[in-house]
Amino acid sequence: MTFSDMPAKRFKTRRRLLEATALGVGIALATPALRAQQTPAHLRRADPAEIQAIVDAFLGGTQPVTEGLKLDMPVLGDNPASVPVKAVLEVPISRDVYCKELILIAEGNPRPLACRFEFTSLAGTTEVAVRMRLIETQSVQALARMSDGRVLAARRHITVTAGGCGM
Amino acid sequence: MSTPRIWISSDTPQAGDTVRVRVLVEHRMESGMRVGPDGATIARNIISRFECKFDDDLLFVWQPETAISQNPYLEFTFVARQSGELNMRWMDDAGAVIEGKKTLTVSG
Amino acid sequence: MDRRSFLLTPPALAISAAGLPSNLLAAPAAIHSHTTLLPRRGTGPRIVVAGGGWGGMTAARFLRQHIPEADVVLLERNPTFWSGPMSNKWLIDIVNTDFVNRDMLSPANRYGYTLINTTVNGIEREKKLVLTTHGTIDYDYLILSGGIRDAYEAWFGNDKYAAEYTRRHFPNAYIPNAEMFALKRKFRDFKGGTVVMTLPPPPHRCPPSPYERACLIAWHFKTNNIPGKIIILDPKPKIAPIGEGYRAAFQELYPDIITHVPNAGVKEVDPFNKRIKTAAGDFDFDHAILMPPHQAADIVWYAGLIGKRPDGKPTGWADIHPRFFTARDDDDVYVVGDSMGTISDQFGHYPKSAHVAHAIGKIVAKNIAERVAGKEVVPVLPDNLCYMMVNADPQEEISVVFEYEVDSTGRVLQTQIDMDVRSPDLVAKDFAWIKSRFDDFL
Repeated sequence: MTFSDMPAKRFKTRRRLLEATALGVGIALATPALRAQQTPAHLRRADPAEIQAIVDAFLGGTQPVTEGLKLDMPVLGDNPASVPVKAVLEVPISRDVYCKELILIAEGNPRPLACRFEFTSLAGTTEVAVRMRLIETQSVQALARMSDGRVLAARRHITVTAGGCGM
Repeated sequence: MSTPRIWISSDTPQAGDTVRVRVLVEHRMESGMRVGPDGATIARNIISRFECKFDDDLLFVWQPETAISQNPYLEFTFVARQSGELNMRWMDDAGAVIEGKKTLTVSG
Repeated sequence: MDRRSFLLTPPALAISAAGLPSNLLAAPAAIHSHTTLLPRRGTGPRIVVAGGGWGGMTAARFLRQHIPEADVVLLERNPTFWSGPMSNKWLIDIVNTDFVNRDMLSPANRYGYTLINTTVNGIEREKKLVLTTHGTIDYDYLILSGGIRDAYEAWFGNDKYAAEYTRRHFPNAYIPNAEMFALKRKFRDFKGGTVVMTLPPPPHRCPPSPYERACLIAWHFKTNNIPGKIIILDPKPKIAPIGEGYRAAFQELYPDIITHVPNAGVKEVDPFNKRIKTAAGDFDFDHAILMPPHQAADIVWYAGLIGKRPDGKPTGWADIHPRFFTARDDDDVYVVGDSMGTISDQFGHYPKSAHVAHAIGKIVAKNIAERVAGKEVVPVLPDNLCYMMVNADPQEEISVVFEYEVDSTGRVLQTQIDMDVRSPDLVAKDFAWIKSRFDDFL
């Protein structure tokens, strides 16, 4: 009996088998070396009080200035796993007046403090850029403390969608 | 471990020039928020400290947290003052270290 | 003598058969499209693979490996294999023609599948029959791995003359292999002027490659002092994927050559007067690489397996099971590679890359083997990665990696990681990657 002589009902069994296997799949079956960085859906953005605490700790009572620091980010992020964020100091800097500390806050992430920079007077840095993974549309804040005590602040909103490649 | 990818706007700048650097290392940046097939949380292991020195002098420290993407990318500017080596060091939670450097010849 | 036997017997023999010496070889019977292309052999399943590209050749090889008794038949309209990957490097002679253009007979012999050089012109699924220009062939399982078609109708409607004129004069060379040499020759002979490149709307074949092509052609202009400009007309709001890496390359390596125009969806193409109207303005050109929208290959349409949108219009892509790649309406038909439709509402389609086609070809071969053996069919996820050369001296590349996992509801999720700091060490990785893939099926 050739393969093609097999009764049609055997193919129906196959169909059910396929469906059952599909429904039963609930765990990652990728090869061990490849596991993507998905943040589970049950993790939600941090609550506003936590963000305020981070900001207050940085400000240390100083009133922030909303000029002199620019946040360069796309308005639309097509890849939430890698959103480019750039902070640019627009005030003049020198060996004496420079940025000592800079933090970036991803307000919508479960752990909102994204990173911290600590500079020395030698660096002369006026720009830093990183890539963030953002779990949802949100605002990103940058806070920069200058060596003379000023704190500069900037904040921008970004809409995040997935699948820039294949949608 | 991974070799850092380093791009620099110029390795022969004039003294006082602003130099732009882009670096990228391959690292999982396991956030500690993911759950494995057995239901247990996968332990966090991210690059949590990056130091940039010029010869032996510290320029800055970068402390990434879990919001920083896998294969962490960093771009920064600094002022070239004299010839020497830009030394960079990445350290992760498990104690692994990645190093990279770029030699600068500064004129003027 | 009835008409049928008249057609099958050449006239000369029919008239004077009795007078011919017996040691003369019989003239071949006339072939037409209703003859059987190939009778069945053996007692194993007959698996037809329509399309001998990265996905189809990989599937054919692994089907034979996993199911030694299977009668595997690969149908391909091109006489040789042409690789999309590396073809941009080939345009500027970084690799030679032998690298991208390969023999298909040797792998067929080595892996033990039957290769037939023919064009599929119909599929009758209820009869499990594939119709080709050389005859019909029946199947137990069918793999459609035909890649993409250029949907010029989106620009020209029924005006096939305009479509064919556009293809001939402004080829995009995204489908092997009719246009490859014409494209290369055009740029070799190019003396200067404005080149526009229209990108298709997503999803399309190899999303990062048009930008790579722009980089390498710009490098060719720069290196050879050819006064050329390249205008990329991109329907997307920004460069994607590897947007930052490409943006840096355009600005730092080719600032006077490449202009990227976002939100420039094509509205009207006049190939005769060399003018194009887009949502971002009108552009006159001296030469162009015109990429119309992409769709699943013709064979998916013949099979009646194109998906439907809620409004009833065709999606243009195969409607498939997202984990098993079987056609929704027919689980004896698999779709492998660029023709595949939506996988997930999180990211849409798998990126239409050769890497993915190869991965899926392997997975489907394994799944079919499991079905034939009566075992549980295990769904496996692919991965994806693309290397793109943005500078040819020094040679520097950028890359992107995609990883997939399944959430608790069975939905496939994608993570994309751009490696956009251009560096020379990715060049070696690129060549190592393609060597390992070619070793799998060529």
